[in-house]
Amino acid sequence: MTKDLDLTDIQGNIIKAYGAYNYQKARYLFLRINNGDKGRKFVAAITTKVTTGVSWNKSGAGPAVEKPMATTNIAFTYVGLKALELPTASLRGFPEDFMMGMAKRKDILGDDGPSDPENWDNIWKERVHIWMSINAQNTEALIERYNWVVQQVEASGGGVTLLTGHRGDAGEDDLPYQEASVLYDEAGNPTPKEHFGYTDGIGDPVFEGQTNLSARVPGRGKLMRDGSWAPLATGEFLLGHVDEAMEYPKTAPSPTLLSRNGTYMVYRKLHENVGTFNHFLDEQSKSFPGSKEMLAAKFAGRWRDNGAPIVKAPDDASKAEWDKAFEAADFAEQKRMLTDFTYNDDIHGAKCPYSAHLRRINPRGSLEYGVTGAYETPGALDDRRRILRRGLPYGSVKDATRDDGNHGIIFMALNVDIQRQFEFVQQQWINYANDFKEGNDKEVLLGNHDARHPGKVVLQVEPGSGKPPHFINNIPRLVETRGGDYFFIPSITALKLIAAGMVDPT
Amino acid sequence: MATKSGNATALTVLSPIKNGAIGETSFADITRERCMRLPIHEQSPLTKVPNTYLARLFILDDVFYESLPANDSIFNFSDITSIFFDSARKKALPRKDHLKSKYLVFSSNFHGDLDAYLTGMWEKWSYIDNKGVQRDVRHIWEHCVAFDKVTDCAGFIAYIKKCQFEASLFFNGSTDDSLQEQLKALYLKQEFTQFAMEHQGKSAVEIQQDFKAFIARVQPENLIAPTWPPGKSTP
Repeated sequence: MTKDLDLTDIQGNIIKAYGAYNYQKARYLFLRINNGDKGRKFVAAITTKVTTGVSWNKSGAGPAVEKPMATTNIAFTYVGLKALELPTASLRGFPEDFMMGMAKRKDILGDDGPSDPENWDNIWKERVHIWMSINAQNTEALIERYNWVVQQVEASGGGVTLLTGHRGDAGEDDLPYQEASVLYDEAGNPTPKEHFGYTDGIGDPVFEGQTNLSARVPGRGKLMRDGSWAPLATGEFLLGHVDEAMEYPKTAPSPTLLSRNGTYMVYRKLHENVGTFNHFLDEQSKSFPGSKEMLAAKFAGRWRDNGAPIVKAPDDASKAEWDKAFEAADFAEQKRMLTDFTYNDDIHGAKCPYSAHLRRINPRGSLEYGVTGAYETPGALDDRRRILRRGLPYGSVKDATRDDGNHGIIFMALNVDIQRQFEFVQQQWINYANDFKEGNDKEVLLGNHDARHPGKVVLQVEPGSGKPPHFINNIPRLVETRGGDYFFIPSITALKLIAAGMVDPT
Repeated sequence: MATKSGNATALTVLSPIKNGAIGETSFADITRERCMRLPIHEQSPLTKVPNTYLARLFILDDVFYESLPANDSIFNFSDITSIFFDSARKKALPRKDHLKSKYLVFSSNFHGDLDAYLTGMWEKWSYIDNKGVQRDVRHIWEHCVAFDKVTDCAGFIAYIKKCQFEASLFFNGSTDDSLQEQLKALYLKQEFTQFAMEHQGKSAVEIQQDFKAFIARVQPENLIAPTWPPGKSTP
């Protein structure tokens, strides 16, 4: 049932993680619509430059499209769609989570204490209407595209406002955009790292309709009983397509032309407490029977330097072996080494702890706890909790002993059902651990650890090994939410209908 | 007969509420509001009723009517007769059932003997209502049929037993130890986890010394205190 996707109709940021295509710089813009008619004209103007999902100058069917120096994409909150005067019958069909917006869902997401919306950047004080992204291969292209957008805003004659209120590097709190960028090493080369030093962006889900499936699917699709991997149903990530329950997603509003080939996006600005993390890692590694890097790998499920999955390289010795094989491998084999694994040989969590970031956000087949045939497929409890991850780090670390610098990650999760996919993982698997038989233990890196009642994580060992488990105690909050909201990313067709005021749900 | 699972009992009680009203407010609505307004967590009256694991109060208005169920037959005889007679169609529909009263439903999973538990309800159920008045169990059952005849503990026990239903499919969500045992166990588990965290990597001598002090502080044999108080929901 693999039909090719209409790539000309799907916005490019759904299909591609631009960071992997040399788009090193980004700006995220948020706008308010003051007048429906002028707002629609603005959307029409932007749509002429919206980047689609077509392949860039690759071999294969279809026209060769030049890879642009800058991409542009656009999405809307519920109140934004209302301001664009979509018909009530269409608006009514959007799901509750999207309508409420992320700030109102803070109790589900665990955005409390320092992550509470009252502490978010000024831009989030009132609900935004439009999200736009510009991803660029260099700063010149970024600024050129940004200036073009600003021109469209000015041409709207007050119909649309570019909102200010983002925090910046120099302590400003009223910038008109959120800047983001890959991190560079000492030689000035772009790296896939984030501010805690981890290698990010490995292992995006793979779904039907994508190209080059057989090469990309191991470890990234859904795990079948015979140990092979299959692509996930398209409808887990794109509205209007059949999902894993063999249905069309019910989160799609009417009419089909409005929702098909669109999806929902969770945008979260995540501040990283770099000083606290470094101090915490240093302190904890003093009592840890292994190197500091091994402990850091236990937190995340991957080693910091090259993203080696710890389940495949559980200690310093095996990591050295893994590194040798990795260096000798070709590009395709390297990708496979990074993603093609299960936790089947690690039921007890002795290699990759159950509270490691990787295992919590994607337990693969391990919720069967080694009982073959517990579910229809090993990944049955996991397949419908996957998200497409997009985004880039922002800011820079000037003082690695401090928390209050401007540094973190702009994180975006793309999925068809915010509540079932993103919110579930956040609430049940990151901030809670019942499914992992770990009680209330929160995930080390992303958990909303409570300073008044700090929690713990247990690093298990193999039963019968004679070693004691290792406790990580008094975990501080390492990541804080500084803003965000829920957006609808329309297809190109839907954008044109919205812009023309011709969305018709009858 | 309440269903037991070891020492645990699933008590299910349906007490009919008087039909009628005070002014324009029905007895059922008065009872419902009193249930709604019960204080929660450590102020709940259920924390005072010994050995209550988990209890629930609600008003049952009526039964649901389920219309014609789907079936796999290609046709039913009534499909034919219904073409000719509407009365035949109506006859084929399931009969409608209604309750003659609204009911106060009280269900409780508890440890131990039923009579002892009901005595605990009569004697210990106590709280301050949202108007600041001290209340006991009679405030909830006040408008139930014939409850005005209940004047003492024996009368209350007899009344409740008359209202009892047998519970089927009783799934007890914990062990069947006494509530005090369970709460003490929860408390000890948390304290001991903390102790283990704090003593990771310490010497055997230091652990043993601190453990003695730990035992003296948490008093494992003492079920009264220190412990996790009933109704407390957060640390």
